[in-house]
Amino acid sequence: MSTSASPHDPVTPRAKDGRAPDVFVPDGWVPMRCHADTEEVDFAIVGAGAGGATLAARLAEKGFSVVCFDAGPYWRPLEDFASDELAQEMLYWTDPRITGGADPIALAGNNCGKGVGGSTVHFSMVSLRFRPEWFKSRSKLGYGYDWPVTYEEIAPYYDQAERALSISGPVKYPWGPPRGPYPYRPHEVNAPGLILGRAADRMGIKWCSTPLATVSAPHGKSPPCVYRGYCHYGCSTNAKQSALVVWAARAVKAGAEIRDMAMVGQVETSADGARATGVRYHREGEWRVQKARNVVVSGYAIETPRLLLNSATPKHPNGLANSSGCVGAYLTTQSGPGVWATFEEDIRWSKGPPNMAVTEHWNYTDEGKDFHGGYAFMSQGPLAREWGQNLATSRGLWGEDLQRGMADYNHTMGFVPVGEVEPRACNTVTLVDDEFDQYGLKIPKVTFSYSDNDKRLIEHSVKFMGHMLDAAGGRDQWRNDDTSHLLGTCRMGDDPRTSVVNADGRSWDIPNLWVCDGSLFATTGGVNPSLTIQALALRCADRIESLARRGEL
Amino acid sequence: MLHGASAMLGASVLADSAVEHYRGSFDNPGMYTPLVVSAVTMAAGIDGASGQWLPRRMRDGMYALSGAVGAIGVGFHTYNVLRRPGGLNWLNAFYAAPIGAPAALSLAGAIGLAADEIAETSHPDRLKLFGIPVGRALSAFTALGLMGTVSEAGLMHFRGSFQNPFMWLPVSLPPIAAALTAKAAIEPAGERDGRPMTRSWLWLTSAMGIAGVGFHAFGVSRAMGGWRNWSQNVVDGPPLPAPPSFSALAIAALAALRLRDLEDA
Repeated sequence: MSTSASPHDPVTPRAKDGRAPDVFVPDGWVPMRCHADTEEVDFAIVGAGAGGATLAARLAEKGFSVVCFDAGPYWRPLEDFASDELAQEMLYWTDPRITGGADPIALAGNNCGKGVGGSTVHFSMVSLRFRPEWFKSRSKLGYGYDWPVTYEEIAPYYDQAERALSISGPVKYPWGPPRGPYPYRPHEVNAPGLILGRAADRMGIKWCSTPLATVSAPHGKSPPCVYRGYCHYGCSTNAKQSALVVWAARAVKAGAEIRDMAMVGQVETSADGARATGVRYHREGEWRVQKARNVVVSGYAIETPRLLLNSATPKHPNGLANSSGCVGAYLTTQSGPGVWATFEEDIRWSKGPPNMAVTEHWNYTDEGKDFHGGYAFMSQGPLAREWGQNLATSRGLWGEDLQRGMADYNHTMGFVPVGEVEPRACNTVTLVDDEFDQYGLKIPKVTFSYSDNDKRLIEHSVKFMGHMLDAAGGRDQWRNDDTSHLLGTCRMGDDPRTSVVNADGRSWDIPNLWVCDGSLFATTGGVNPSLTIQALALRCADRIESLARRGEL
Repeated sequence: MLHGASAMLGASVLADSAVEHYRGSFDNPGMYTPLVVSAVTMAAGIDGASGQWLPRRMRDGMYALSGAVGAIGVGFHTYNVLRRPGGLNWLNAFYAAPIGAPAALSLAGAIGLAADEIAETSHPDRLKLFGIPVGRALSAFTALGLMGTVSEAGLMHFRGSFQNPFMWLPVSLPPIAAALTAKAAIEPAGERDGRPMTRSWLWLTSAMGIAGVGFHAFGVSRAMGGWRNWSQNVVDGPPLPAPPSFSALAIAALAALRLRDLEDA
């Protein structure tokens, strides 16, 4: 089908020689402004996901010269994405990593992404805002940490992100400060979502259709969602408003260069250690250096601290931007224990986006909790292979039992929360000194353990979701354990002694080194992070523009 | 002309309910009813507008059936909305059975019945419906029908986020036509200028209903696979048969205006 470089080809980039793949046209191209390595660009951005691609688009639209690097391919969804769960694992970051701690996080799955668009290429599109109090959860709710920004400062950027992504959501969102309808109307809720609704109605709690980043009506070149259900494995219709389809396309159009298949190994710094001077990256079999006036690290919560740590110099022996010791610390994830049940009725939960109905009841209710924090939970729609794996590994079914379990696939339904996890210094991303990846870079080690509070939250959610399934008429309940999202390893703050960057994502130690991705999160809240990451990136772009105007870059 | 409007409305309902109820897999056997009844209405309308081979009583029976089934349909659709999780809310208004849609059948039946009444008399200017001069009654009725259709289009186009600016047309042109028609229904006798303004808006509304099919066809082309994937996109895309119900009602309103002119004379 394609005469260009195959996406499975591990070395050959597509975006070069003045053109980038057109994400909307099989085998298509769009012109792209390209820069020489020796040309000192305004911004070198490492990572083209929710943080990096968003920032690249906005900075380019403001007239800055931008080169955005991604270690993975530049996909064309219409030709690269197949209805094949196994083949689509090419979207994940599967380079060697070590996971440890008392509750090791499963890596190389849905909590990572490699390629332009990052993990938004396969995310579930859930686009929720933070509860306003979470930005000051220490002062207002008595736990966690305060962010250096307020909800009021972020709210206009939530608006901007929701408009840019044409979020399809309820006319009136039942939680949080009153605001107008989402830019696009909600999708028709599938059967598992309606079961959540039925249970919530019976238990007297609020629920609604989930605000999703997939369009319910045409938008530009994106057709409306066809409810194919493979959202976790790459949307092959482009209804999904991923960073690949929205921001990367906008970035290239505005004059940014996106370099795919380009793994950045080090941020280069000046001899005195005071400034970042560019990035050292591996592309087409060789190491090269792109010069830049500013460097932004947007590699998500493992690769961002790993790159800063791997960029250590005699001036910065503990890694760049790490005078606080917080680079790689305060790693959080979000707990996601599943509770599942079998129903008499036909459900067919593989139809439509996987999480079509949500309740944020326990994000906005503070009474009746034996823990700090909150959680949202949603109806689920795992595909058949993923579900079979869950039945085999978590429920321990095999042989005939597994066959019987799978025969109930169309009658099964469950809930999974996005549970807030305490940020703790002991949960970390560090470097493994004696193990190297295919580029010769030290690999990261991810260490994670739940706190007692985290465990109480998990048990509370399991119990409550179980009641909900009972109320809806489900039988044969069982549970499993999982996590989603990785956050917090370069947290923002007001104090250089306890944070890596300030509210703009600018590092305290090196003024032209920035971070823009989920590692900025001081706390995680009980909602999926992608919308907040994009809102932070949009704010960062505006802040950079005003700093540049004042000559403070 | 009124029989023709009835037939056109019947055809619109037939095509629309066929596609929508097919989409709903005829989950309830009752979902076949509007297909049969709208076909009957259409037949009555064509008969009335052309040769009038059928005896009037039979034609009126057909129209009356249409009127009744439309009303029952509204009941069924309301029940469908209310029994879903969340009850009466935006989500169910968008995606459950459209509450107002079956009313189009009742409109078609009522317009047909009025047409036969008028045809029967040699003095249509003295004929009354419910004690109101027939021209006034029909003007009011079609104005209401137009506004009902405007709400339906408004709800559906809101569901489509008015993503194309032309989606504002059916919620901006017909209300003016409906308001002018309503004015014709209630203003004192003696207007003899032929109401050119009202007529123009009604013709415009009528033309818009036909153009709407073209816009909806364009909408179908914007779905994944476009017209090459017509078997899915015609079902899930903007409904091709829906917009001509504006044309049918506008034509009925034009006929009503003609009766109003007789009453004024």
